[in-house]
Amino acid sequence: MIGTFSAISPVSATGSDVMRWLPVIFLFLSFSNAGAADDSPVQLKVKPVLCIVDAKTPSCQMSFLVIWQSAESGYYCLYNDFGESPLRCWTDEQAGEVNDERDVQNEFRYWMTGNDEQTPLAVVAVEVLRMDTGDRRRNRRGRHVWDIL
Amino acid sequence: MNAQTVIALIAILASPASVAGASAADPQSNQSSATAPRSSGSTALSGPGQSRWQFGVALGYGLRSNPLVQSDDIPIVVDLDIGWFGDHFFFDNGDLGLTVTDNEAMTASIVARVNSDRVFFGKTDTKFVSLDLAGQPLATAVELTIPDRDYAIEMGIEILADGKWGHLQLAAHHDVSGTHDGYEVDFNYGTGFRRQRWYFEPSIGATFKSESMNDYYWGVSPGESSDALPVYAAKSGLNTHARLLFSYQINKNWAFTLVGEFERLNEEAAASPIVNDRNVLGYFAGFGYRF
Repeated sequence: MIGTFSAISPVSATGSDVMRWLPVIFLFLSFSNAGAADDSPVQLKVKPVLCIVDAKTPSCQMSFLVIWQSAESGYYCLYNDFGESPLRCWTDEQAGEVNDERDVQNEFRYWMTGNDEQTPLAVVAVEVLRMDTGDRRRNRRGRHVWDIL
Repeated sequence: MNAQTVIALIAILASPASVAGASAADPQSNQSSATAPRSSGSTALSGPGQSRWQFGVALGYGLRSNPLVQSDDIPIVVDLDIGWFGDHFFFDNGDLGLTVTDNEAMTASIVARVNSDRVFFGKTDTKFVSLDLAGQPLATAVELTIPDRDYAIEMGIEILADGKWGHLQLAAHHDVSGTHDGYEVDFNYGTGFRRQRWYFEPSIGATFKSESMNDYYWGVSPGESSDALPVYAAKSGLNTHARLLFSYQINKNWAFTLVGEFERLNEEAAASPIVNDRNVLGYFAGFGYRF
């Protein structure tokens, strides 16, 4: 399994139609959750939502663009997991945006509240993908097997 | 592996029950969720626990050229990644290992694996030919069959090291199945460059193949020879290879990967009458999903 493409399992390219459509089916099934309806009164969007870290890059220094929009004007506050107090609040507003600079090592969330600060109206999670596991041997081996994943 | 087997494996791997211990992936979206989290936050969330298992599947299309005469290239449609890592023992895509040393400087393991040279011999054809492999006309047409070769189980030592300078592998394996009674020594070096979702990794390597091993796979014994296929004995040789990998991480689970590999067979293998092309080219482009 080392030094060649042998980790790849060849499958006949002249297989059935199922095989031909398998990638499409698999992609559809995997992404189908992303289109779920959102009934929240406040729309919250964050870019980016993924931070990738590894041994060489243990954290992400990122500028997060947080945009929110509501159907009704009112009092809204934006929070994140880094502090107890809100990042920013808006009075009698229907939309807003914030640029938030962060050095990210772990997953965290942004959320919006209205007059009731204990009840989030919308939540977005920023995910951290660790390309290295906690197992040093596994990390080293994963790089050396001719593994395309 | 046939199509049914692949589908069955994917179905098993996709089943939540089959990934017990693996982290549950949230839907990937930058849209707000209707589900309320805890109402206040004070500390950043911790990452998911590490499972001893690793599962992945890549779907796409690729090809690996076959250096043998009268052979077909090897299509690559699915790549399964299955591993289990215990405290000392591990299974990694067909490799069985026992780690004897693991520290900051290096990881050393005893590894048993299946030899990779056999893969070419599974895609050969039988033909009636009127010319020999040197292009000379034969008195009568004869059946030309590429000799079959068996898989060999090899066991040996593998040393891995990494750092900011890249990653290095040294390995030496000897046949323990009595197939070719030879050995091979591998050297690989690579380094990765990441810019968030983009990843680029060039790597190079060389593999020394002993005379016994080289002759078993690339030689032609008197019993296998014919008017169209002369006897050939291969000595030891050094294969070299290089690879480029590009990857784009679409979200936490999905990545698009493009990989190309070039392998140059050793001179002794290249001179074999059953070898048509000294260079082996491989590529794959597809979507990979990691559970």
